[in-house]
Amino acid sequence: MSATNLLQIADLQVRMGEQTILNGISLHVPVGGIVTVLGSNGVGKTTLMRAISGVYRATAGSIRFEDSEISQWPSHRIVAAGLAQAPEGRQIFSSMSVAENLRIGAVGLSPEALAEELEKQLDRFPILRERYQQSAGTLSGGEQQMLCIARALMSRPKLLLMDEPSLGLAPKVVRMIFDLISHIRIEGHSVLLVEQNARAALRVADYAYVMDGGRIVIEGVSAELANDARVRAAYLGGHAA
Amino acid sequence: MFDIFFVQQLVNGLSVGFIYALMAIGFTLIFGVLNVVNFAHGEVYMIGAYAGWLSITIFAPPLFVVILVALAIGALAGFGLERIAFKPFRRFRDEASLKSKAMREATLLSSLAISIIVRELAEKIFGSNMQTIPQDYLLLTPIQIGPLSFASGQFLIFGLSIVMLGGLQWLLKRTQVGLSIRAVANNPMGATYVGINTERTIIATFVIGSTLGAAAGLVVGLYQGAIFPAMGFAPGIKAFVAMVMGGLSSIGGAVVCAIILGVAESVTTSFFAQGWGDLVAYVFLVMTLIFFPTGLFGGGRDRV
Repeated sequence: MSATNLLQIADLQVRMGEQTILNGISLHVPVGGIVTVLGSNGVGKTTLMRAISGVYRATAGSIRFEDSEISQWPSHRIVAAGLAQAPEGRQIFSSMSVAENLRIGAVGLSPEALAEELEKQLDRFPILRERYQQSAGTLSGGEQQMLCIARALMSRPKLLLMDEPSLGLAPKVVRMIFDLISHIRIEGHSVLLVEQNARAALRVADYAYVMDGGRIVIEGVSAELANDARVRAAYLGGHAA
Repeated sequence: MFDIFFVQQLVNGLSVGFIYALMAIGFTLIFGVLNVVNFAHGEVYMIGAYAGWLSITIFAPPLFVVILVALAIGALAGFGLERIAFKPFRRFRDEASLKSKAMREATLLSSLAISIIVRELAEKIFGSNMQTIPQDYLLLTPIQIGPLSFASGQFLIFGLSIVMLGGLQWLLKRTQVGLSIRAVANNPMGATYVGINTERTIIATFVIGSTLGAAAGLVVGLYQGAIFPAMGFAPGIKAFVAMVMGGLSSIGGAVVCAIILGVAESVTTSFFAQGWGDLVAYVFLVMTLIFFPTGLFGGGRDRV
């Protein structure tokens, strides 16, 4: 494998009972890269993300993160190794305060590092500072998404997985989240992004994979994929620029 | 307007209520985290009492050592209980198994089985007779405050309960373990994503809940002086009722309802014959289920 790859997935398979959800996925995320996985509903994108985070077990294939094979690790070990996820559906702790949600995210940080990281996230998302003592369930959808991302960043991950961060949000918030994705790369986090909003995802990512039926069907540099006839027809609404 | 006897009963009821509260917390914590009822909780209570009694009859140490021994044995019992009765039924992690009722009900039966085995073992080893606490340790020294008289055991119950409830509150709000317990109770999937070690959190929950349960058993043993294998049954039922009344996974709700229950029982016996006291819990349970299906304090299912 290349030394500059942070995440390297080879021939990953996930089966549940009789069903094969992922059927031989291979992809990689370079250090400092933003990579996106596109595809419509039900092609296995979320399963892929869950398998990487150890929520589901890979039935075959390998997932290498830095120098370790993590495909059989429990999820808490994966997070501790520097791979955090802002999952689909946000999965925030609705009965706990914003402050507590953020503190829980800070896996393995010293108290000083935690306080520092907390400040950083609250500066990044000022609305969370306003809602700091409120219970997370009272936040709006956009605010919950910000909390979810901030919570994942609290552990200072090398790689951040984001599963449909723009789902169901107002256009203004969506724009903000995509701006954020470009920005956190500058801070040294690599990103693996799963999105249905293909246009925005291709704009922010360097490299893209398209999934269908549990496989990667197309891959390439984002700019090229944005001009690929098949991608345009299937995911970018035909002729739109 | 209140006669002394009535006030006296109120105070007695409060001390009984605190005992129920200590036990109800164990139920509530475990229900919150695993969504299952731990039927062996009454036996942890019994084990706490026996641990205290054994340490008294063998070593006769100072009272606080007796308490520490009982708490430690309770914690150990909680750990063992989780490993034997609950862990083996968490082998499957796919969504179908997690949602399946059979998987949850399996632990209902396994914990019931452990409860029966432990109770029978205690009977086999110590006999089914009541064990008596030596006079020196029996906390029945009367303490007169104005016209009211208390037993020293009641002070121990109030003191220990308040310390343990306060400690629990601190633990759940301020420590990483406590935050993890609340996170797993609130959203197990989210807890996995943020890197909480769910297995360790579940063990911690059992250890904490069982420590509180053992503490309750010990102080009742010292106060009422009656220690026998089936002693956990009745308070177990009462604590269960308090948990249901409180809304299943609300600790605050369970504590308040446990105290209401204790006081109500005690006040009932001042108007009716002793035997009617036990009826109160069941009446409360039925009323709660009919009129407040989500509990008196249960807005949501996810509050710990």
